[in-house]
Amino acid sequence: MKALQKFGYPLFFVIMALLPHLLDSRWQAVAITFLIFTVVALSQDITLGKSGMFNMGQALFFGMGAYTSAILNHQFGWPIIATIPLAILIPAIFGVLLAGPIVHLRGDYLLVVTIGFNIVFVQVLQNNLGGITGGPNGIFGLDSLSFFSVNLTSQLAVYYFAFLVLLLTLLVMRNLEKSKTGRALHYLREDQLAAESIGINTRIYKIFAFGLGAGIAGLAGTVFATQYAAVSPEAFEFIQSVLFFSIVLVGGSSVPGILIGVFVMFVLPEIFREFATWRYFIFGFAMIAAMILRPRGIVPATFGKIPKFLLKGGKDGVE
Amino acid sequence: MDIFLQQLANGLTIGSMFALVALGYTMVYGVMRLINFAHGDMVAASAFVGLTIYTQVMGQATSLGAVIVIFLLTAAVMACIGILLERLAYRPLREAPRLSAVVSALGASLVIQNGIMLIWGPRMRIFPELVPQVYWDLGGVVISLIQVIILALSLVLMIALYLFVEKTRMGAAIRASSIDQDAARLMGINVNSVIALIFIIGSSLGAVGGLFIGLYYRGITFNMGWQYGLYAFIAAILGGIGNIPGAMLGGMLLGLFNAFIAGYVSSTWADAFTFILLILILIVRPTGILGERVAEKV
Repeated sequence: MKALQKFGYPLFFVIMALLPHLLDSRWQAVAITFLIFTVVALSQDITLGKSGMFNMGQALFFGMGAYTSAILNHQFGWPIIATIPLAILIPAIFGVLLAGPIVHLRGDYLLVVTIGFNIVFVQVLQNNLGGITGGPNGIFGLDSLSFFSVNLTSQLAVYYFAFLVLLLTLLVMRNLEKSKTGRALHYLREDQLAAESIGINTRIYKIFAFGLGAGIAGLAGTVFATQYAAVSPEAFEFIQSVLFFSIVLVGGSSVPGILIGVFVMFVLPEIFREFATWRYFIFGFAMIAAMILRPRGIVPATFGKIPKFLLKGGKDGVE
Repeated sequence: MDIFLQQLANGLTIGSMFALVALGYTMVYGVMRLINFAHGDMVAASAFVGLTIYTQVMGQATSLGAVIVIFLLTAAVMACIGILLERLAYRPLREAPRLSAVVSALGASLVIQNGIMLIWGPRMRIFPELVPQVYWDLGGVVISLIQVIILALSLVLMIALYLFVEKTRMGAAIRASSIDQDAARLMGINVNSVIALIFIIGSSLGAVGGLFIGLYYRGITFNMGWQYGLYAFIAAILGGIGNIPGAMLGGMLLGLFNAFIAGYVSSTWADAFTFILLILILIVRPTGILGERVAEKV
């Protein structure tokens, strides 16, 4: 693992930075999708993998970010770049508000309620609430990226935008893991009762995890809206949430595992297009097999980043 | 008043279908603490299996005897698939972390759903008219023979299941296993056969539910399992998951609620209202209406 972290990540970043120049435009689009869905899966990992909350509604926040950007751009004429702060904030606020009343629910109940949020969200979009979501067709004809009057229409620009968002997300995840908050989340995932008894305010941390995950997913939504210059409800259906949920658990809630998961789920089907109708049939079997063979995921996450000053008391003290 | 009585009749019909399907969820959850996500797709599959038995095996006969045979055969086929599902997808994961079994259930759901699509095609199929179209007009309220059959048969099945679980030795084994599997094993109960039994009962009740859905709505699609399964699952949670009378109560309640929303408000918002009801009930009673308040195991 150490060697992987030392050389694996820089190598991965260099490859991803050079990648779009080696691909034609169709594969560039696939690569952008890969980056966006990786960010969403990582945001899902904050609630599901890192904090152990059964959240099966992440597509809601992804969609909310996409729709925030689309509505601000299309109805109010904001440039896409300017919509980013709100596309992060609005889903994050909704994440906090929605999580508030439900985080105390036991695992499976939480799962169903988050599915419910996702389905209500899609129904709101389809019924065109307030006349701004565009109904079942969604909103199309969004502006392309522009930055201080420099117009970045090319797909390459979207790719690097998505790549930048992925790098930011990875940075946030890395800092989270090293921080007090990250340790609190990890502890409450391992044993909520014990976490509470040593004075961790589990409720606050759970809500925080929801808000953070929602904000990151919202940002990914902006990139998604930019890539297609359109948004529509079916991209944020609850089946998408199921896919993100499965990717995190099959991957093992670690960054390499999630990358593999997203690759298998969204890139392989593009390579084997002739098997499109068999796609989910095969995935279903693969999910069962992966869980039976590796119940903790393909690359199980290790939580080893405990700062040195805490380890002073001796090796046995912490783990 | 007419709308009220009409929606009451419709609600009881839909509710009894929800309840039949919800029983499958709740029984599996009660013993295994697992949301069997594949159950909704099993229900969808049974409508298609029933369709094929009707055309291929029964030669499109619609006599009373033939209909009974179609129901029994479909239930038997689905019971076998249920056992197979448990053996292949759930039994290897009984000692694994709980979320692994959830992912396996989601995988099984995808396999069954897309299996239906690969066998019967992606387009909507029309379920045969097994029951004659007879309607009675009771002073402005129209009730069909199908509705009466669905309601009556569901009630009979539910009462039979309730008596089976409460009054027989095997029922006692099911109850014991759902309280504590290890203790049940120590008392000489074969938990593996209890779980197999639960999958047989749950899948056959689901099969009847699936055939009812076909009879009542006529159009069946390969992906309808998510929709009906989710509603039935909500019904199970409303009543208190793991609780058999709770699933029946939850199913009826949800059916009536849906019918009245469709009758008085708007059917385009039915899903949203259903989930708002669920969320409100869970905020007030976190373990459902009849669910006992259990402390999380430490």
